[in-house]
Amino acid sequence: MIRGVILVIIGAVAAPLLGGLIAGVDRRLTAWLQSRYGPPIWQPFFDVIKLFGKERLVVNGWQVFCAHVYITATMLSVVLFFLQSDLLLILFVQAFGAIFLVIGAFSTTSPYSQVGANRELIQILTYEPLIVLVFVGIYLVTGSFKISEILAQTKPLLVSLPLLYIVLCYALTIKLRKSPFDFSTSHHAHQELVKGFLTEYSGRYLALVEIGHWYEVVLILGLCSLFWATSWIGVLVLVGVTYLCEILIDNIMARMTWQWMLGYVWTMGLAMSFVNLIWLHGR
Amino acid sequence: MLNTLLFILILGPFIAAALCYFVRISHIRSFIVLAMGCLLAVTSILLFTKAPFSHTPPPLLNIPIHWWIIWGDDGLLLTMLYYGFKHRHLFTKILIIFQIVALDYFELFMVDHSKTFPLFFADNLSLIMVLIISIVGPLICVFAIPYMNKHEEHQGLKKSRQPKFFAFLVMIIGAMNGLVLSNNIIFMYVFFEVTTLGSFMLISHDRTETALKNAVRALWMNCLAGAAFIVAMILAYITQGTVDAQELIRGGHMGGIMLTPLALLCFAGMVKAAQIPFQSWLLGAMVAPTPTSALLHSSTMVKAGAYIALRFAPGYAGTFLSQSLAVCGAFTFLATSAMAVSQSNGKKVLAYSTIGNLGLIFACAGINTPEAITAGILLIIFHAFSKALLFLCVGDIEQHIGSRDIEVMRGLYAKMPRTTLIAILGMVTMMLPPFGVLLSKWMALEAASKHLFVMVLLAVGSALMVMYWARWAGILLSAPYGSHVEPERQGVLTRLPLLALVGGAVVLSLCAPLLYSNLVAPILSAPSFSVRAGIFENPTGAFLLYPVILVLALGFIYAVYAAKKAQKARTSGPYLCGAQTTDPESFEGPMRKPVAVSSGAYYFESIFGEQRLTVWFNVCGGMLVALLIGGAL
Amino acid sequence: MDTIKAFIRKSRAKSPWLLHFDCGSCNGCDIEVLACLTPVYDIERFGIINVGNPKHADLLLVTGTVNHRNKKVLANLAEQMPDPKIVVALGSCGLTGGIFREAYNVIGGVDKIIPVDVYVPGCPPKPEAIIDGVVTGLEKFAEKKGDKS
Ligand code: SF4
Repeated sequence: MIRGVILVIIGAVAAPLLGGLIAGVDRRLTAWLQSRYGPPIWQPFFDVIKLFGKERLVVNGWQVFCAHVYITATMLSVVLFFLQSDLLLILFVQAFGAIFLVIGAFSTTSPYSQVGANRELIQILTYEPLIVLVFVGIYLVTGSFKISEILAQTKPLLVSLPLLYIVLCYALTIKLRKSPFDFSTSHHAHQELVKGFLTEYSGRYLALVEIGHWYEVVLILGLCSLFWATSWIGVLVLVGVTYLCEILIDNIMARMTWQWMLGYVWTMGLAMSFVNLIWLHGR
Repeated sequence: MLNTLLFILILGPFIAAALCYFVRISHIRSFIVLAMGCLLAVTSILLFTKAPFSHTPPPLLNIPIHWWIIWGDDGLLLTMLYYGFKHRHLFTKILIIFQIVALDYFELFMVDHSKTFPLFFADNLSLIMVLIISIVGPLICVFAIPYMNKHEEHQGLKKSRQPKFFAFLVMIIGAMNGLVLSNNIIFMYVFFEVTTLGSFMLISHDRTETALKNAVRALWMNCLAGAAFIVAMILAYITQGTVDAQELIRGGHMGGIMLTPLALLCFAGMVKAAQIPFQSWLLGAMVAPTPTSALLHSSTMVKAGAYIALRFAPGYAGTFLSQSLAVCGAFTFLATSAMAVSQSNGKKVLAYSTIGNLGLIFACAGINTPEAITAGILLIIFHAFSKALLFLCVGDIEQHIGSRDIEVMRGLYAKMPRTTLIAILGMVTMMLPPFGVLLSKWMALEAASKHLFVMVLLAVGSALMVMYWARWAGILLSAPYGSHVEPERQGVLTRLPLLALVGGAVVLSLCAPLLYSNLVAPILSAPSFSVRAGIFENPTGAFLLYPVILVLALGFIYAVYAAKKAQKARTSGPYLCGAQTTDPESFEGPMRKPVAVSSGAYYFESIFGEQRLTVWFNVCGGMLVALLIGGAL
Repeated sequence: MDTIKAFIRKSRAKSPWLLHFDCGSCNGCDIEVLACLTPVYDIERFGIINVGNPKHADLLLVTGTVNHRNKKVLANLAEQMPDPKIVVALGSCGLTGGIFREAYNVIGGVDKIIPVDVYVPGCPPKPEAIIDGVVTGLEKFAEKKGDKS
C-alpha cells in the first residue's frame, strides 16, 4: 500500500520534473551540436512558470477544457506506468489525452490550428499501431501485458526484441516531435504552420500542455527502459543512448511530409515488427 | 407466465405492427408505438428474472407452433418472391424459389416433428440480446414518431406512408426477439427471413430510384444469407438428425462433417452483418429515413449476424473455421476503418464503423477464447447504445441543417449545442477509455495477441477508427469564437430517446464489471477475468476500470470548472497573421475586402478513397470468405 | 504567495519569447535580428525564443516604419499578445520613421500606434545593441503586472 502511494507520487510529481529536466538537457545538447552556448538546463521550468504568470487569453472555453483533460490523462498514464499496470491500458489512457488535445485544436477556426490538428491525427495514426505491435512482442516474450511481469524477467527484452525496439524508437521520435516527424508542431519555432495545433493555446493553458508533454516523454522513455529493465545501469545506458540518437537525428534531418511519414514509418515499422514477431513465434 | 412473456416479446410487436398498419390515425399510431415500447422494455426485464430457461409453448389456437411457422414462412417467402418479380431481379427470384422448395421439402419430408425438444431456449446471451432489442429498438421507434412527421412534411406527400413504415419498424423488433430466443433453427431461420423482408421494405420506403435499387440489393444479398442458412439446416439435419440448436452446438466437436453447416451459418451471419465483401447492402441502406438505419445498425438486423456467430461459437471452437472467421472479421475491421477515414458523409462513416465493429465481434467469435467471447458480448451491448445514439443525432442534425456532410456540420456547436454535445459524447464512448466499447476492444486485443495476423489488422484498424471519430468530434466543435450559444429547441419525443441512449451508453460503461460478472461470466466455459473493485484482471493483463474512471472524472470536473472560470477571461480571435478584421472569422484581403477564413479536414481520398479501395477489399474479403467455407468443406 | 510572485518574476526575466514583426523595414534591421539567433550571438542562452505567434509571445520586436496599410496589423498583433508584454522598437525607422518619415504613406514610429517600452536606435542597430535593448526590456517585463487573478 505504502509502496503504491509512493509510486503514485513518483509518477505524478517526479515524472514532470524529470521530463522538464530532459527537455532542458535536450535544448542544451542541441545548442552544443549547433555550436551554440544554449539556455540553462532549467530553462523549460522558467518557461512554464512564466506562462503560468500570464494573462488568461482564450479563443473559446473548449481549449481550456481540453488542456485540462489532456494533462489529467497524461498524468494518469504515467501513474499507471509506475504502478506497473497493463501496457495497453496505459496506451489507451495516453490516447485519451492526445485525442482531447487534438479536439481542442479543432475547436478553433484558426487555419493553423486546424491543419496542425489534422497532422497531429496522422501522427497518432502512425505511431499507435506500432506501439501496439511492440506490446504484442513484449507479450510474446513475457506472456503478459503487465509491466510487473516484464520486471520479473531475468533477461533483457532487448535481446529478443531488437527490431521492435527500433520500431518503438520511431514512435518515440514522433511523440517527441523531432525532425523528420515534427510537422504538427515543433519545438523550434517559426515553421510553416506557426506553432501547428498549439497555435491557439496560450498562457497557462500552453503551460499545461507543456507539462503534459513532459509526462508523455517520461512515459515513452519509460517504455524504452523496459527493454533493459534487468539492471539500473542498463536502463540508464539504453535510455541515454536512445535519447542522444534522437537529438542527433533531430539535428541532421529535415522536416518531411506526412505522406512520406505514413508510408515510410508504416512500411519500415510493420516490416520490422513482422520479422521480429515471426522470429519469436518460430521459437 | 413464461408463455405470456414470450408472447408479448415475439408476437406483441407483430400485433402492434398490424395495428399500426390498419389504424390510420397518427395519434393512435404514436400511442401504440409508445405503449408497445414501454411494454416490451418491461417484459424484457421480467423475462430476465426467469432466466435461464428452455421452454416449449403450448399450441396456439390448438395448432402446433411449427405449423404456424411453416405457413408463416411460406407466406413470407411468397411475399418476397412477389417483390422479386415486381422489381424483375432474376437472382432474387432464383434464390427465393430455391428457398421455398428446399424449405418445404425439408419441413414436410425430412424433419421428424414428433421429436420433442424445447422450442425456445434462453441463456444470458439471448437475454442480453432481448434486453438490447427491446430497449434500444423502442427508443428508436419513439424517436421516429416526430422524425417521420417532419420527414413527410419535407417530402410533401399527399398520402402518409407512415403506417407501413411503423409496421415494419416494429415488426423487426419482434422478429429479432424471436430469432434470439428460438432454439429450433427452423424458427431461427424464419425470423431471420422476417428481418430480411422488413429491412427491404424499410430501405425502399422513400420509393426513389436509389432507394429501390438499394433495397433490391439488400434483398438479394440477404436472400443469399437465407439460402445459406437453409442449406446449413439441411446438412446439419443430415449429419445430426436434429434441428435443436443446443444439440448442434454440442455436436460441433464431431469434427469436419459438422463444420460445413456451421460454416454456412457463419456465412449467413456475415452477410447479414454486412461483412466485406457484402458491405454494399448496408451502405445502400443509408438512403432510408434515419430511424431505419439506426434500427438496422444498432440493435437489430446486423446484430442478428453477430448473434449467430457468437451463439454457435462453442460449436466450432479450435477449428480452422474459427481461425478463418477471426481473420475475416479482423480484415473487415481494418478495411472499413480505412474506408471510413476517407468519408465526409456522416452517415457513411457511421455505417462503416458499424461494419467494422461487427467485424470485431466476428473476430472475437473466431478467436473463441473466453476472453474473446466476453469482448464480443460486451461489444454488442455497448455498440448498440452508442451507435443508435449517433444515428439519431445525425438524423436530427440532418433535419436541422439539411445535410449529412461532416464539413457542413463544421461548428455545429454554435447552432445546436445540445445535440452536438450528445453526439460528441457518443463518439467519445465509441473510441476512448474508460467507456465500454474501448473496454471490449481492450479485451479483444488481449485475446487476439496470440494470433499475430489478426492482431496486426486490429491494431492498425483501431488507430484508423480513432482518427475518424476524433476528426468528426473536433469539427463539430469548430465554432466561431465568442458567439453566444443559444440552446436549440427540441421536442420531448426527440430528446427523450437521445438522453436515454446517451445515459445508457455512459451508465452501462460504469456498470461494466456488474454486466460482466452477472451476465457474461455465467455463460462462459471458464471465467475470463477476475473482477475486484472494478478492476478486470487475468494473467494477461489488467484494466483498472474504476480507478481510471475516478481520475478521469475528477479531471473532467475540474476541466469544466476551469472552462467556466475562463469565460471571464479576455477572448481573442484566432491568429490570422494580424490581418483579422472586426469580424474575427475573416481577414483583410486585397482591396481591404474581408475574406472569410475556411479550412477543411483531411480525408485522404488518394490513400483511403472508397472508390480506390472497395474493389481490392472486396477481392480480399471474397477470398477470405471462400477460405472460410472451403476450409470447412 | 510572495515567493511565488518573485519566482514568476524571475522566470519572466529568464524566458522572454519574442515575436518579430517586420512593419515596413528595408530588411536591414531584420537581418540584424536574425543574426542574433545565429551561433555567434545565440540569444537562446537568455532563454529567448523567436516564436511566430503573438499568443505565445512576451516581447514584440518591431522593425521598420508604420504606414497606413500595416498599422492595423501592428495593433492586431499587439492585441493578441497576452499580458504582460513589452514592445521594443528597432532602428531609426521603428523609432521615428527614419529616412522614410517624409513618405506620403508613412505614419512614423511604432509608438504612434502602440506604446513602446524600449527604443533601440541605429540604422541598422548592431546585434549587440539589439540584445542590449531586449535585455533592458526584460527588467521592465519582469516588473509588469500581468494577470490579476
Ligand atoms: S532603420 Fe535603417 S536598416 Fe532599419 S529598417 Fe530603417 S532604414 Fe532599414
